[in-house]
Amino acid sequence: MKLIYTDSLVVGAGLAGLRVAIASKERGLDTLVLSLIPAKRSHSAAAQGGMQASLGNTVKGMGDDEDVHFQDTVKGSDWGCDQEVARMFAHCAPKAVRELANWGVPWTRVTKGPRQVVVNAEKVTIEEAEEAHGLINARDFGGTKKWRTCYTADGTGHSLLYAVDNKAISLDIPVHERVEALALIHDGKRCHGVVARCLITGELRAYVAKSTTIATGGYGRIYEVSTNAIICEGIGQALALETGVATLGNMEAVQFHPTAIVPVGILTTEGCRGDGGLLRDKDGHRFMPDYEPEKKELASRDVVSRRMTEHMRKGKGVDSPYGPHLWLDITLLGRKHVETNLREVKEICENFLGIDPAEDWIPVRPTQHYSMGGIRTDAKGQSPQLKGLFSVGEAACWDMHGFNRLGGNSLAETVVGGMIIGKYVADFCEENTLEIDTALAERFVAQVRDEIDSLVEGQGSESAYELKREMQRIMMDYVGIFRNGPELTKAVEELEALLIRSRNLGLKCKKRHANPELVEALRVKRMIKVALTVACGAEARTESRGAHAREDYPQRNDKEWLNRTLSSWPSADATRPQLDYEALDVMKMELPPGYRGYGINNAIAHPDTEKREKQIVEILSNLGEEADRHERQHALMPFEVPESLREKNERLHDKPLGNSQQLGEESK
Amino acid sequence: MSQGRTLTFNIFRYDPQVPDDKPKMVKYQLEEAPGMTVFIALNMLREQQDPSLQFDFVCRAGICGSCAMVINGYPTLACRTLTSKYPKGEITLMPLPGFELIGDLSVNTGKFMRELAERLKLWLHPRNDEVDIHRIEAPMDPEEAAKLYELERCVECGVCVSACATKQMRDTFVGAVGMMKIARFELDSRDARSVEDFYHVIGNQDGVFGCMTLLGCQDNCPKDLPHMQQIAYLRRKMATALV
Amino acid sequence: MSLAKKNNNVSGWLDMSQSVSGVILALFLWTHLVLVSSILLGADAMTFVARTMELSFLSADGHGYPWVVSGIAIIVALLALIHVLVAVHKMPLNLQQQRALRQQMSVIHHDDTKLWVWQAITGVGIFLLLPVHLWLIGSAPETIGPIGSADRIWNQGVWMVYLPLLLCVELHAAIGIYRVAIKWGAKRAIDARARIRKIKTIVSVVFVVIGLASLLAFLPYAS
Repeated sequence: MKLIYTDSLVVGAGLAGLRVAIASKERGLDTLVLSLIPAKRSHSAAAQGGMQASLGNTVKGMGDDEDVHFQDTVKGSDWGCDQEVARMFAHCAPKAVRELANWGVPWTRVTKGPRQVVVNAEKVTIEEAEEAHGLINARDFGGTKKWRTCYTADGTGHSLLYAVDNKAISLDIPVHERVEALALIHDGKRCHGVVARCLITGELRAYVAKSTTIATGGYGRIYEVSTNAIICEGIGQALALETGVATLGNMEAVQFHPTAIVPVGILTTEGCRGDGGLLRDKDGHRFMPDYEPEKKELASRDVVSRRMTEHMRKGKGVDSPYGPHLWLDITLLGRKHVETNLREVKEICENFLGIDPAEDWIPVRPTQHYSMGGIRTDAKGQSPQLKGLFSVGEAACWDMHGFNRLGGNSLAETVVGGMIIGKYVADFCEENTLEIDTALAERFVAQVRDEIDSLVEGQGSESAYELKREMQRIMMDYVGIFRNGPELTKAVEELEALLIRSRNLGLKCKKRHANPELVEALRVKRMIKVALTVACGAEARTESRGAHAREDYPQRNDKEWLNRTLSSWPSADATRPQLDYEALDVMKMELPPGYRGYGINNAIAHPDTEKREKQIVEILSNLGEEADRHERQHALMPFEVPESLREKNERLHDKPLGNSQQLGEESK
Repeated sequence: MSQGRTLTFNIFRYDPQVPDDKPKMVKYQLEEAPGMTVFIALNMLREQQDPSLQFDFVCRAGICGSCAMVINGYPTLACRTLTSKYPKGEITLMPLPGFELIGDLSVNTGKFMRELAERLKLWLHPRNDEVDIHRIEAPMDPEEAAKLYELERCVECGVCVSACATKQMRDTFVGAVGMMKIARFELDSRDARSVEDFYHVIGNQDGVFGCMTLLGCQDNCPKDLPHMQQIAYLRRKMATALV
Repeated sequence: MSLAKKNNNVSGWLDMSQSVSGVILALFLWTHLVLVSSILLGADAMTFVARTMELSFLSADGHGYPWVVSGIAIIVALLALIHVLVAVHKMPLNLQQQRALRQQMSVIHHDDTKLWVWQAITGVGIFLLLPVHLWLIGSAPETIGPIGSADRIWNQGVWMVYLPLLLCVELHAAIGIYRVAIKWGAKRAIDARARIRKIKTIVSVVFVVIGLASLLAFLPYAS
């Protein structure tokens, strides 16, 4: 058995994983990253639009701060998020952006003077301030009060990933590429590392570490059509689930992005609508204002996706061999804008659709996009059940997104969460010793080896490819944008049957080294379990919240469902996860549940809501006039961040300026 | 549309880890579907005809650079190559030359790129290591930021390396990908390195003065990066530093 | 700022000298061919050109100094030598390099790489043929003229050298100038690449035609 020791082990070399690795290495810890692929190929690179951080440099972001970002995030989550975590996040986001500027990210900058933008299908001239010239710019995104999304053209994820990986290379952090983690080594209380398989040689290795951080991204590929890279298969979540100890949070919270191209499901960024693009139906009619007169195309993603589906159900979709779709119209932005700020979109349209988006409308449809659920962690990123197991980024349910994530908050979570949790991981490594129990490691390696042996040498007859297709179809048909009881029950039953079949997988290709079929077989068994947590969670949650929309329970029910679903896998031979619930305490919320601002307000209130609202008024009135916004916030809901990140963020509008005119103005 | 025609794939097959295996071309046939890409076709072949077939895809959207291979004599990204581009319906697939072969169409570009980055120190060397991340960031010329992004669009797919005969002949040659990145940091006002520092790295036979301007990089880059222009710029810069 | 010493690195100079020597040689070549083509205008024209090249207008007896031509031949030979010595570094010298090149070119189609292979082949051709030409001219400069040259080309069979040399040199020079333009050129030269490439082909063809015509034009003077 090959044993490799390290202090801080990170599984996944996307932005979140690399950021944690950097934080560990900067503290002098021995750090090692495992990745299925070269780090720079990670799915983080696909984030086009940008990351949210309340810098408030552009005139359309004036007045923005952590408070506004926090409120947008909580409302966006449909009050399903952990508000303390949302606060930690909003507080550190500007710091992460500024740090990245020093690591090489060429953030798009503000140019002083007048600039033409498209707002609500009209050309508007805004005037950027002299003082803001050269500072980091921001664009508009859905569900936000201010223009807050910092970006580099439409390749923000690419730029960030390259800068962060370059930083990791400069720190000499080893990334073991083409290595797949297949099991966590643990004793039921503490995680000691992973068992991983080299995808080239097939060698099994035990990586033993003080801390193990899972940053493997989401589980979008349990759906047939997804904007996700094909490696986003939920194996990280499965690793935690299969311990039987660690839990997964809110797995039913799955986001559908409104504008993926038809049929291949490749994403066109929210920046298209943020920059002024419109949605049109088969008659060329701009329909979003009919449903959401205030936010229109820039309502929250879950809302836009549902409205689009609703509209297509009314027969307003454009028919195609791949089913109905709608149009995304960015022609009104002009060729120059499309070719500079939306050039990835242009390339995608040219290569996959053969159209020119500066001239033609883009066929789009809501498509699986993001996993709000993931490995449940506390605010420090650690699993509450398994000490030494951390998770960060999309892989985790740190829970700043609740039941719906805002555009630009995922890319932000990777680097902000990585920055914060990275420090806690380093703390953990400094406070704990490496416990090496070779017998324990050997036991887990043997388990994986047996699993591979039975696949290669066994008499199984099921095809991994077929089971995967079946699972993906079930998820598409029954666990989609709109859900209902009978279909979800069907999904759970069919997935259970698949899980049982997956115990009888067989291979045609018997190689033990580089063998794509073996990789697929090892993954599909795990994916079906993850899919079951999604379907079971969705079936049990008899309310609608954020992206989880039940046709049979259309109301948000704070009274019974203001909680977080926790799934665990009871035993190896179980066919369903065990579901538990963790209540969200209204009495601790800074922002008690309220109206989100879309459609009719039909939420069933939590009994504590009114009590908490009164309490808040009281607390604030006791503070007196001179209390600033930080003091008021602290009085309502104190939150912790690592010491080096505590300082307040400086902004342009905090600085004394001659007169308000200098801050720029907006004119038609 | 060429719906329903039968495509013929000639695919390079070789598993270097199987002792007696020899490189060979294997023929496969497949019914074409509308909008089919080489990504879709290869996955169908693997699922239906030969589960041992090795190739690499990640984003399948032309963003990550994993899937570069030589398609009918031209190195490019397979995920965004539509099969309808080939009127004869014959498609020959070869792995990118110049990289360590993992098997069939899969090559180890990741290892190559990491080694290159370490060798050329391809990261920002900030003028000021300790920036206060709580304060307002240092301004940067908006034009400069836009230019940097243009040069940063490289996805490290390896096409330029495989298309460069110079690189194939001389292993130590930096290649277009390395020079493009140097050009990107040279342009960056935040980078502390001087012309002299860059001269040390690429002012030699393995760098700009070893490039023979064969332009395989320029002509095949899937991101249309201005290799020729940037390498000429560096060459002039290095030459002026000399005289 | 001088870095060459500090880095003890000559490759920059070598690369530049290859380009510079190449450009001078190409310019010389084309001038040379235009001058030789004076035969197309008749014997008197060529005699005038030949005498003028020997600086006859400076000598009292009007015979000039034939050693000037020898001098030019020596300078050309030196330039060519520099050019070869530098260029040879970039050629596939060992078997391994040749195999790598062949392997790559068999997998990947790329026109400009093929163009370079032609340049390398014609370069080798020139390397073999040019010394013969330079020796013949440099050792007997006084024989240059309609009669002497015609005798050399057609009666002594030197056309067997000149014909392949003409083809090699015209291809080599035009491709070389094209490459130098995009190698050092700023954005404008690079944007005009397709046009420069076309011009390069035209230049090759035109000069080959002029050269062939001139060779044939000597035929009547060979007795």
